[in-house]
Amino acid sequence: MRFSMLPKIFTQMFKKPYTNKFPAKYTPSSTTKFLADVGAGKAKLIPPVETPKGFRGKIQYDKEKCIGCKLCIKVCPSGAIDFKPEDKKIKIYLARCTFCSQCTDVCPVNCLSMSDEFLLADSDKYSPELIVE
Amino acid sequence: MTDKKRLTPEEIVKFFKDDFKKDIIDVKIKTNTAGSKKNQAINIWMKVDKGVFKKVVKHLMKIQYPHLAVASGNDLGKIIELIYHFTLYYEDRLGEITLNISVDLPKSKPEIESLCDLIPGALVTEWEKMEFLGVKFKGIPDERRLFVPDDIPKGVYPWRRDETGPDKLYKNLHEVKK
Amino acid sequence: MKQKSTTKTSYHIPIGPIHPALKEPVFFEFEIDGEKIVDVDVKLGHVHRGVEWASRRRNPVQILYLAERICGICSYCHPAAFTLAVERIAEIEVPERAEYLRVIQGELERICSHVLWAGVAAHEIGFDTVLYLTWQIRERALDLTEFLTGNRITKGIMMIGGIRRDITPEMIPRIKKDLEHFKKDFETLRHVFLDDKTVKMRSQGAGILTKDEAMKLCAVGPTGRASGVKKDARFGESYFAYGDLDIDLITPDVLTGEVNGDVYDRIIQRLLEVKQSIELIEQSMDKMPSGDILAEPKIPKLLAQLKKASGEAVGRHEAPRGEVIHYVKLDGNENPYTWKVRAPTYNNILPWIPMLKGEQIADIPIVAASTDPCMSCTNRVAIVQGSKRYNLNKEELHRLSIEKTRRLMK
Repeated sequence: MRFSMLPKIFTQMFKKPYTNKFPAKYTPSSTTKFLADVGAGKAKLIPPVETPKGFRGKIQYDKEKCIGCKLCIKVCPSGAIDFKPEDKKIKIYLARCTFCSQCTDVCPVNCLSMSDEFLLADSDKYSPELIVE
Repeated sequence: MTDKKRLTPEEIVKFFKDDFKKDIIDVKIKTNTAGSKKNQAINIWMKVDKGVFKKVVKHLMKIQYPHLAVASGNDLGKIIELIYHFTLYYEDRLGEITLNISVDLPKSKPEIESLCDLIPGALVTEWEKMEFLGVKFKGIPDERRLFVPDDIPKGVYPWRRDETGPDKLYKNLHEVKK
Repeated sequence: MKQKSTTKTSYHIPIGPIHPALKEPVFFEFEIDGEKIVDVDVKLGHVHRGVEWASRRRNPVQILYLAERICGICSYCHPAAFTLAVERIAEIEVPERAEYLRVIQGELERICSHVLWAGVAAHEIGFDTVLYLTWQIRERALDLTEFLTGNRITKGIMMIGGIRRDITPEMIPRIKKDLEHFKKDFETLRHVFLDDKTVKMRSQGAGILTKDEAMKLCAVGPTGRASGVKKDARFGESYFAYGDLDIDLITPDVLTGEVNGDVYDRIIQRLLEVKQSIELIEQSMDKMPSGDILAEPKIPKLLAQLKKASGEAVGRHEAPRGEVIHYVKLDGNENPYTWKVRAPTYNNILPWIPMLKGEQIADIPIVAASTDPCMSCTNRVAIVQGSKRYNLNKEELHRLSIEKTRRLMK
């Protein structure tokens, strides 16, 4: 059949588009003004698609539980974890993290866990948002 | 393919030892099991003297036209070891046998004959060994650079562990700032 | 391959295929006479050389994540082959449930990859509507992957001695619902690709690779199987749980009755493999026994065990593009002595030469894309016509290919 896609194209005209238009339907002309409008309640931010349970996002570190065994440093594939010898705790640089969650699996006291935060873009590699300690 | 009788691993080894006697130096047959039914996967490892290597491959083609997967290389100090990985009987269900033939080449004179007239598909993998280990293949149709970028100087062989290795070119970026 | 007296140097950047539309540099040089190609020359840049060197300073658990980033689309098959090799050296016995789970993840990846390829092939012909349709189908498969493993592409689910995440009984209804959707989507795709006249016109008779050439040049994967060579690592070797499942070796004569080795056969081959993958996932979900999923759950003990092991082994896996083979040598240190990776596209590069000789320039994108190169579509193509040289880059080739389709449709 020559035009086998035609019925499908026809039904598509009446359906909602598949793309989730996050954060807004069209690109705002000024991003800072758009964010100020959202803060004041004048514009609405379309939320992103839901992440499932078990999603590997930003690392969360419970400093009290850490015993300084350095196992997470041994298994990190990209060398994103630094050891602070003076108080035997670690410092994680998210700019190098590959989000593999191997450190969370190996920790013997379960002080590391993965949250579902994934909007982590920043212009400075060493900004305080991207260092977990 | 003709319906030749399928040989067991021990018969394959005997097939080579009958013709080449002491040029076959070391033979190991390893089996591994997997899954619930514990079917076997068979690996044969053979070390062959470098003078008869091409004749061994021609002899292998009498069993079946083999599939050359890849040739890997090791730098063992004074010797460069090349291992050719062949597979046979790939049309039989659960019957594929991996045959690994290894050849030792002295580092002072790393030369061996090319297999490109018997198996034209060996060109890419032999080219790679030429660039990365410095092995010379006699009779290879093409000798330009394929994989290594042009700005790496000519005497550097990236897989070697001695002074011709790439250690001088390596920069420790992650120690710059943390 | 002919030697050229002047070669144009272009800088090859060895980056992994980060973008799903396969924009990685491969340098071709064609010699043409009018519109027909007379001779082909290939020059490549590698992706994973730095990777093998980087493995000399990492322990095997870290290398798993390094191996995953060799390729974005076949990101499961490299850790899979690596763990096969390491488990054979250290003689680690993998639990049965883990073997079945590994099969499920591998086949899910194959579905994602083949559907992506179908979209790219349609895009090269100029059939953009099918591109968006296949991407929509692929979204469902990627959402299922995210649900099972935590991420869409770099799954991070393989571990030496088993697998990292289990499929709990709560997850099973969603998997079954998605499999039903996949079956309907497969029917849609089959109808669009195989019954459409335009696709047949462009692809039948183009880029022929005979069985003899495929055997001599050691072609692997769907490229080789579409020419009639019966090579499939899942069929021949017993690894993971493939030995227990009911697998047939698929070649195009299952559907059409004859094997031509052209682009149309490769399309049929990949669509049939999608159907086979759906059936394999269903089979393994039914047969999966219960039990634990890791042979050694404590990683420090596993690392100590691997440090004592020594020897060498080979691990092979059937990736969506062909056979992946890894050779590992451990010698009693923590880091491996040698790790050799061979991605399937390296064996599939030499068959480009007999496939492209005698074709027209406008056929280059579809023939090159039909082998599904993972380090692929040519970034820059230099054409030598008589004594004039001019460069055609990817956008112009694409435009030429679309114009040919319009001409044929009239």
